Amino acid sequence: MADSGEFREKVKKDVIRIMAETLEISPDEITSDLVFNSDLPFDSLQLYEFVIDVEETYNVRLPDELLDEVKTVEDMVDVVVKLSEKE
Amino acid sequence: MLNEEEQMSQALVRIFENVVLTEEKSLQAGYFKDLSIAEMHTLTAIGPYDARTMTKTAEDLGITTGTLTVAIDRLVKKGYVHRERDKRDKRIVRISLTHNGKLACRMNSKFHRVLAKHILAGYDEADRKKLLDLVNEVDVYVEQQLRRYDDSKNVRATASQVANDTTKEKK
Repeated sequence: MADSGEFREKVKKDVIRIMAETLEISPDEITSDLVFNSDLPFDSLQLYEFVIDVEETYNVRLPDELLDEVKTVEDMVDVVVKLSEKE
Repeated sequence: MLNEEEQMSQALVRIFENVVLTEEKSLQAGYFKDLSIAEMHTLTAIGPYDARTMTKTAEDLGITTGTLTVAIDRLVKKGYVHRERDKRDKRIVRISLTHNGKLACRMNSKFHRVLAKHILAGYDEADRKKLLDLVNEVDVYVEQQLRRYDDSKNVRATASQVANDTTKEKK
């Protein structure tokens, strides 16, 4: 990978973009520290819409057992970066 | 007062029926009203990730490929399943879930997880372990009986064997 910092930024941008599209809010309203359960108005259908879009964008698998560990937007970025590096 | 065997027997049948009924009702009340419970189980057998062959999926569901083909035709029409021929071997048909199919499959898994979570919630760690061990034993025992019928050439003889044999396999 040419630049892991650059890749991480790209993942973060994509995660926030997909999240904003799913929730129909502005990406500017989403910051890395927001918590899925309390700060983001996902219902379970929207949450899986978001997860599946992220999976398809990065060709990774995000099963429920893994999602249990994901609390914040930052955690999601971390998981996607880690899984993409394994690919 | 029912004896233990009757209590167990009634509870088993009731649990099975109520899980299926709850699943069915949650489907009808939810986002995937156009899916039957059998169709949802077909989506679950295909799974949200890799494409699968018709043969293996039919085998996992315990149905013939002919029956599966009819079900898949309907699921393709409804937009839940994608079907294509293998690029190298045209005889092989591979099926996978569309975006909506993945969504339905994951929502259904969530339903089962929530049910399990709530059942376990009232117990402390030791009791949860004990409960899981007992449920696993029941699971293994029922599966053992199912396998007997799968391999059976003579259903009557198998039924009599099942009735008389009290041995239990361990997982």
